[in-house]
Amino acid sequence: MISTSEIRVTRETHEAPAAVSERLLIAGGANFYGEANFRVVWGGSRLTWIGGRWTDRDASGNVIRETIETRRVPKYLPVNRWHIERWMPAESYGLPEQWEAQTAEVEDGIRILALGPYPARGEYEHCFTLADAKGGFLPLSPAACDWIVRAVEWAKRQPRREQGGAIAVREARRNRDWNREADDLLDDAVPAFHGAPFVGCAG
Amino acid sequence: MQNAQSVALQLEKVRDKLPLLYERDDILLTMIQQRGDVERVSSRNMRLPLQIRPGGKAGLANMDGGDLGRGSGTVYDVAQVSPIFFRHAVEITKLVEYASNSAEKAIENTAKREVKNAMAQFRAFLDKVMQTNGNGVLGTIGTIATSGLPSGVAAQFTMAKPPGAQLFYYNQTVQVYDPTLTTNRGSANVLLVDPFNSLIQVDALPTGTSVNDVIVHDGLTGAQPTSLFGILYHQTNATTGTWLNLNRATYPVELATPAVNGNNSAITPGAVRLAINKVRKSLGSNQVSKLIAYTALEQEHQWEQLGVTISQIIKEGAGGRASDLDLLFTGEKTMAGVPIKSSINANQTRVDFLDLSHWGRAVMQDIDFYDVGGQTVFPIYGTSGGLAAAYIFYFVTGFQVWNESPRSGSYINNLAIPTGY
Repeated sequence: MISTSEIRVTRETHEAPAAVSERLLIAGGANFYGEANFRVVWGGSRLTWIGGRWTDRDASGNVIRETIETRRVPKYLPVNRWHIERWMPAESYGLPEQWEAQTAEVEDGIRILALGPYPARGEYEHCFTLADAKGGFLPLSPAACDWIVRAVEWAKRQPRREQGGAIAVREARRNRDWNREADDLLDDAVPAFHGAPFVGCAG
Repeated sequence: MQNAQSVALQLEKVRDKLPLLYERDDILLTMIQQRGDVERVSSRNMRLPLQIRPGGKAGLANMDGGDLGRGSGTVYDVAQVSPIFFRHAVEITKLVEYASNSAEKAIENTAKREVKNAMAQFRAFLDKVMQTNGNGVLGTIGTIATSGLPSGVAAQFTMAKPPGAQLFYYNQTVQVYDPTLTTNRGSANVLLVDPFNSLIQVDALPTGTSVNDVIVHDGLTGAQPTSLFGILYHQTNATTGTWLNLNRATYPVELATPAVNGNNSAITPGAVRLAINKVRKSLGSNQVSKLIAYTALEQEHQWEQLGVTISQIIKEGAGGRASDLDLLFTGEKTMAGVPIKSSINANQTRVDFLDLSHWGRAVMQDIDFYDVGGQTVFPIYGTSGGLAAAYIFYFVTGFQVWNESPRSGSYINNLAIPTGY
């Protein structure tokens, strides 16, 4: 009889190199617990509590089972990317009683905190994912680390009121872009001078 | 050749450009168009078979002669959707031609300008209707003022927020309905829109118009009118009413979109994570990668004020080396890792997490000029019965929006609107 047992990797984990963490600590500073404001985590290593009714499905999407429980699962997707997190103080999550009121779910008479306990020491939240322009994987190379540090330093320099202005600027730019594209399209369909041939005149 | 015929020729030249002009990457309608399915349909209902509930009965068995029990099968049902038609009428007066000293060039310029303006306006109108809950309600009257108004203005409505006056535009014809959408009180034209103060002014006050009445777009008739099935129609946790011809009460869990109540508080990372996790719990982790966070500029700004994300600074920062930084990062602004798509028309108190791969359009007629036997430009007649110095053309389109999986998304509602908006 031949054994067909095999090992299947369900979740790959990595730790950010200490040198990268140190550079981010210097670039982004520390919170009042002495921890870095910014850090790099691997998607498959960064876990969080999620509680409630889970519906498990097979590969075809068919329901296999439903359970009510709290699971420790990867916080960010995709799991096979490096993610940059930023520390958020506890007050970002409201008061503990607000947290409980908002996150408590009751399933079949079971009360469960959907996001786990209140983050009394604050919590790290997703800032951005290290990926190329198409969302593909980028290794945590020294060059990538340089980019992250520059982004963090850039962020620290920006006053928040400018962020609102940036949205308005973007919306105006969208309008301008569409108008230009529309003009180009219409000029292409209905050429200048009614399509009559013309030559330039040296001035 | 008559002038209208000449304009028709110019319009024909731009005809194949209409779909390109119609699309724009920052509006919900185009996002659905680009990412969702498009089904060509006839005037009959399009049917969407849904596997709503699992079948089979599992349990412990006594194999020592025990009763193995009976089984059950998967529950299927059919959602149905049928297209509705929208039109956008554009009138051009003879006078506009005289703005240029070249008659042929003037006609070209007029046609181009009107096509561009009208397309932008039509698209904006449809995007505004896409924010509603399928009955064409663009806003609810909060207060009515009839005195101290400029000449020609019959009434000024302060519109309840959300959405305030955001879904109206100048010179739009609207209709006033009672709050139950049973009685059509009459129509009026919008003379002023002030979205910052949530005000609109109209040229007529239909008899019986009262506070809490609702305003719908032009063309709707009868009680409980049906318009485009928008965000508020597909993304709701309501357990009453109908959804694509199915009774929500029959499938109160399966047809309800998971929701998080913002309780009139500012958006927090916790609320965002709750909403995303609801999708993960019901559909599995992989589904989250398809989500987008669709929201208003107000909530986008509020999220930035939290100071979590820095990607928008990289992308939007003025001057400096922002473009260098863009080269490395996707530049997408995200909310807990979910790309943000914001719109000026979106509900100011919501963040909708949408998986647009489950959305689509049932299309009977793509955007085009209204055409009668090859004629696309029509004369206008004066009150005397003679010709008026103007002509008219129409854009028309016929479609409806569907979502085959209401539980594939989630939303946060009742969020506080940040000050300054």
